Amino acid sequence: MFPSRRELLKSMGCGFGYLATAAMTKAQAGASTEASMRRNPLAAKSPHFAPRAKRVIFLFMQGGPSQVDTFDHKPLLDRRDGELETFDDARVLAKRKEVVEHRVFKSPWKFQRYGECGQSVSELFPHIARHVDDLCFLKGMHTDGVAHGPATLFLHTGSINLVRPSMGSWVLYGLGTENENLPGFVTIQPSMGNGGPRNYNNAFLPAVYQGTAIGRAGTPASEARIRNLANANISPSQQRRQFESLRQLNTAQISQRPGDPELEAVINSYELAWRMQRAVPDILDLSQEPQHIRQLYGIGSKPTDDFGRQCLMARRLCEAGVRFVQVNYGDNSNNPRWDQHSNLEKHAEHALNTDQPVAGLIQDLKQRGLLEDTLIWWGGEFGRTPYAQANGTGRDHNPYGFTIFLAGGGVKPGFSYGATDEFGHHAIRNKVHMHDWHATLLHLLGLDHEELTFLHDGRPFRLTDVHGEVISEIFA
Amino acid sequence: MNQDQILCFMIRLQLHIRKLLVPLAIGLFGSLSIAMAEGDSAATEAERKSLEIFEKQVRPAMLEHCIRCHGAEKQRGGLRLDSAEGWAVGGDSGPALVPHDTTSLLLQAIRYQDPIVEMPPKGKLPSRVIEAFEAWVALGAVDPRREVAPRNDASDAVPGIDEGREFWAFQPLAPVAVPESDSGEWPETPIDRFIFAGLERNGLAPNPPADRGTLLRRVYYDLVGLPPTPQEIREFLADRSDKALEKVVDRLLSSPRFGQRWGRHWLDVVRFAESSGGGRTLLFPDAWRFRDYVIESFNRDLPYNRFLKEQIAGDLLPWDNWQQRQRQLVATGFLLLGPTNYEMQDKGILEMDVVDEQLDTIGKAFLGMTIGCARCHDHKFDPIPTSDYYAMAGIFKSTKSLIHSNVSSWNKVGLPLPDDQESRLAAHQRAVAAVKRALKKATERWEQAGGDAKPGRGDRKSLDPKQIGAVVIDDDDAQRIGAWKESVAIAQFVGSRYLHDESAGKGEKQVVYHHRFDSPGEYEIFVSYSAGSNRSTRVPIRVFHRGGETLIRVDQRKRPKVDGTFVSLGTFNFDSENPLKLIVSNEDTDDGVVIADAVAIAESSSSISTLIRQTDDETEKGAADDTADAEQLRGLEARVKELTRELQQLEKSGPMRPVAMAVQDDPDGGDIHLMIRGVVGQHGPLTPRGVMQVAAWEPFPSIPEGSSGRLEYADWIADERHPLTARVMVNRIWHWMMGRGIVRTVDNFGSTGEPPSDPALLDYLAGEFIRDGWSVKKLIRRIALSRVYQLSSAPGEQAAIDGANRGMWRMNRKRLRAEDIRDSILAVSGSLDHRYAGPAIKSGTKIEYGYEFDSRRRSVYLPVFRNTLPEVFEVFDFADPNIQLGARSTSTIAAQALWLMNHPDMLRATRKAASRLLATSHESDLERIEYAFLQVLGRPPTAVERRISFNLLLGEATTEAPQVSPTENWAMLYQALFQSIDFRYLN
Repeated sequence: MFPSRRELLKSMGCGFGYLATAAMTKAQAGASTEASMRRNPLAAKSPHFAPRAKRVIFLFMQGGPSQVDTFDHKPLLDRRDGELETFDDARVLAKRKEVVEHRVFKSPWKFQRYGECGQSVSELFPHIARHVDDLCFLKGMHTDGVAHGPATLFLHTGSINLVRPSMGSWVLYGLGTENENLPGFVTIQPSMGNGGPRNYNNAFLPAVYQGTAIGRAGTPASEARIRNLANANISPSQQRRQFESLRQLNTAQISQRPGDPELEAVINSYELAWRMQRAVPDILDLSQEPQHIRQLYGIGSKPTDDFGRQCLMARRLCEAGVRFVQVNYGDNSNNPRWDQHSNLEKHAEHALNTDQPVAGLIQDLKQRGLLEDTLIWWGGEFGRTPYAQANGTGRDHNPYGFTIFLAGGGVKPGFSYGATDEFGHHAIRNKVHMHDWHATLLHLLGLDHEELTFLHDGRPFRLTDVHGEVISEIFA
Repeated sequence: MNQDQILCFMIRLQLHIRKLLVPLAIGLFGSLSIAMAEGDSAATEAERKSLEIFEKQVRPAMLEHCIRCHGAEKQRGGLRLDSAEGWAVGGDSGPALVPHDTTSLLLQAIRYQDPIVEMPPKGKLPSRVIEAFEAWVALGAVDPRREVAPRNDASDAVPGIDEGREFWAFQPLAPVAVPESDSGEWPETPIDRFIFAGLERNGLAPNPPADRGTLLRRVYYDLVGLPPTPQEIREFLADRSDKALEKVVDRLLSSPRFGQRWGRHWLDVVRFAESSGGGRTLLFPDAWRFRDYVIESFNRDLPYNRFLKEQIAGDLLPWDNWQQRQRQLVATGFLLLGPTNYEMQDKGILEMDVVDEQLDTIGKAFLGMTIGCARCHDHKFDPIPTSDYYAMAGIFKSTKSLIHSNVSSWNKVGLPLPDDQESRLAAHQRAVAAVKRALKKATERWEQAGGDAKPGRGDRKSLDPKQIGAVVIDDDDAQRIGAWKESVAIAQFVGSRYLHDESAGKGEKQVVYHHRFDSPGEYEIFVSYSAGSNRSTRVPIRVFHRGGETLIRVDQRKRPKVDGTFVSLGTFNFDSENPLKLIVSNEDTDDGVVIADAVAIAESSSSISTLIRQTDDETEKGAADDTADAEQLRGLEARVKELTRELQQLEKSGPMRPVAMAVQDDPDGGDIHLMIRGVVGQHGPLTPRGVMQVAAWEPFPSIPEGSSGRLEYADWIADERHPLTARVMVNRIWHWMMGRGIVRTVDNFGSTGEPPSDPALLDYLAGEFIRDGWSVKKLIRRIALSRVYQLSSAPGEQAAIDGANRGMWRMNRKRLRAEDIRDSILAVSGSLDHRYAGPAIKSGTKIEYGYEFDSRRRSVYLPVFRNTLPEVFEVFDFADPNIQLGARSTSTIAAQALWLMNHPDMLRATRKAASRLLATSHESDLERIEYAFLQVLGRPPTAVERRISFNLLLGEATTEAPQVSPTENWAMLYQALFQSIDFRYLN
């Protein structure tokens, strides 16, 4: 008969408490108090154990960058270039359950060793190469899904098919946000294709944990905005006048039901919206950054301007306390940017567009001391084949083996973990499945992937389903 | 080794080393091996060696790499490797090891032989360890470890069927006595008596009734999802008769808007959407028919058991007229509207995924059961064994839901039409046939006269490879990579068909031809293709020969030179070392379709062109020889062209038969095998088709040959003896009316759901529902006219006793839903488009991404796409169409506030509302304010609210906020009202 504490909490939406009613009448409403934090599902929560990272920036390289042309150097490809070799190609296998010959295809780019760790990097990434001693490479990655749609959904939600919450939503659910004036999970210019919004959706988690999009793929980064953040009809001062009236109306109406937490939550959602409307444009206003910082990210020069802006926005959002920021290098097509089935040379264009911004972000976070508790993750939904697709000029998808890299947030710097076979096709040593990486990511944030569950449809669900092993070998 | 292990070890040895005579009661391993050495058979020697390898290498490797996932804690794939029985019995794929058999599955897995099963998954073991495993197995796989604990599965006791029937939800419906009430006049209807009795038991008293304005607003939104107009409010308030509410309820129940509101409820339950969702989402262009069917069914008050029967098996029900047949076919769209990954390449898995989705939806929607859990294992909480799942799955596997292709699609059925339209359609079909016949004749005449019909017109569609005087490798003998469509659509091709890349997956497809030559030499290579204007002009063809690799690009829009069939790629050298390999690829062919058909090889001395028939040049030359003939030929050709145009015109303009997403019985259906752990292809026993035994009261009827059993299955659910059907539906209706179900988990009546707060009331309602002929409207009317429904929602002191209001001492306050908010805003602004029925997706739409939801129709007619919802739906807790959901969640998020503050639709509507208000004949601002409050909140303003409104309207102009137009001021007031909590809630 009695509501449990849990039910009470559930019914509260995102309200942060009694105090807001009083605060409402003041011009600048409510800094949160301890009492209100307890009642707010977005309030910062204690992790399961001491975290190594407090926030994440995921640089999503949509389409699948090729590991053998970037960070996983395979000299054998040079020696065997052009030879026919039998490979168990993922696509051929899924469709025809056959293994056929393919033409070995060497990388058109030269590799060189960098830093004290001696990590090989191809000439595609001269800027990132300078930071290899800060990076931690996972070279034995493998994943599920042969096509972009399934693999992209799998990367984000841990399922190729079923509707599951995005990892950013899980993180926000587990940790809450550090800044209530901002959304806790932001995705910058997400693609509308390959699952589209499902990649940042909360699915069955409460809606407060959904990702907020800033702009969308295919538009200039300088125009990326959070939607509905400005009123096109009336001036800000008129809107302020209207907002004051709304406050008074709501105060009058709630007086019929004083202390009703659900109604307070609604009132508070207006206050939060009002504050967001003020805070977000400020954070996304890159003109506040000094010129040398803008240059560091490559803002102002054509190839790097877009991604540079996205990366700088990510830093500013992180600084302001956003928990999970995804920066998308993608588009809305069925063959997203890094998807070079033919004309592999186009990888150079994508590398040029992203190399300096990514390096700038790493350097900037480092010089601000943010890299210590911010985890950067660079990677795509899968890798590419070390042989030519259709014996042509490109490479097909390869879920069997690929590379991602990490920086900061409690991972070993100047470290490389795992390996693919001599061609760079299959991960064979210290393999890390995407489920394992999800488990490890949560672990770095202080969350136990087996404990972070949500009851739905009569049973608990988690990001890693029934899989996932934490890769503790990469922890600093 | 401790004593226990030694003991186990000995038992194991006795199993393995039968010839061993020496007693083994020796305590140390060292002594043991000596003891064994005393045995004299060779087998014993091998087994001793095997044991040694096991202890030194295999056991530690297993401990380190295998046991974590295949031991006491986890049993991945059902396999345990911590005892000899474990691997001998094996997992889902059978025994992991067979002594002496080095092709054993476990060895294959650790050798990484099969990319599907590579163990351990984290990386291949060092080769010396793999060799040790191999040697150990070859020598007999001696393993001293005995099974210690019983398998985990056995300890997970699944509730048995008989035991399961004891659970409240599976109990048959029994008559319920309406509680007597001695204390009062309060209860008016039987529903009230149940509630009142419950309240009395808990020492609670009902709230006073809601004020009449609040009640009217409640009834309007609950029944039709729209606010009452100021006029309707005034009329109701003026009507002081006892029947005032009854009149309103009856009027709303007979309004077409009732079905729009209640149909939408049902669309939530059946996860209705107009696209397939997932990675590559496909539009469902005919899904609107199902939406119209649902809305119309609620408006007609179609008996609920009939309604559900039509959705499961409408195609199998008899019909009296074409309308009924159409309706019943459309109803089965229910089975096809789910989120489906049609791209999936393994069609066997795809079919079972669709069946699973259907069962899951049927289970939750009609039965409140999570049947889907039993696909892989017996249901952990409810008495649904896997065999029940496959009994039901067999029924839907015997139902045609899919049309297969590279990207498959849902089944479609042509709909019957009224007689006049049918006869018009028939006449049209006859006309088309006549023109086709004429065209055929004209083409023949033209060809006989020496004309050469373009591919696709004549009946000389294909060439028999044997007719060709050369070595021919047809596409049948070539190797295909990627998805090629087989086609015969356009002549002229070789053999039985040609391959078509569908202009999709560019760069992913190729066809590879091989040929070995008996004698080395020079050969001319030809390829055939059926030309067409949609073809690529630069199809890359690679020929591998003695001189290396040559790339030739072929323009497939041009008719091939040789007999309209073949084109020469040139002459190349081949020998036994360098056989022919030829690759037709669709890489870099974005300008059109790529065709792969046959390859022909001719010795270079005898060109193929002389081996087939006449060439183009010859035809042209022959025709040009005689001008008289040429003239006749032109006339015949003109006739062919004319008829072709006529045919195209006719086919484009004529009536078309409408199609629906609908299922059919598969005549080849039948019982299916249980699939172990849900893995397609891992067959368990054949499972006779049937139903969930725990909810069955008699054996499933025998299924006639060639039918799926769906009709019998629908009969089972629709039967009034079914313990769940009526209970689940009356609970839904209660939930939609009262804001909360008697069983709060409306889709889950199983043991992980909540029990009913008032079981007697639930069963009473279910019984009455059935007695009323499963009439939804009658039940809604019963509820709406009960006192309980009319209670005030105000919280009171009793909140301290029953804050969750489980006893229903007050009405639950409800949130306006996304549709209510949008429809209200449009209605108040005067721009709501009330068009009833019909398609919603704008014509010409190819994909959901980027769709602009700019329609002004009621929200139920906004397209619902699985990946792209209208923003107002997305922020205001619309039911996720990817998940079956009978009770929406309610969230409070800033995005809702932002939508109401800034969304262009909102701004547009409030401006329109303001202009409309200013155009009315109201005489004062006071009247206007009162009118606006009635429109938006259903009540006049309080004194405080009136003052706030005046302040906003007449606010002093400042330099910061200069005076704006009156329209803008009134628009701001409307907007503030729509944002206020009294609009967003239904008290």
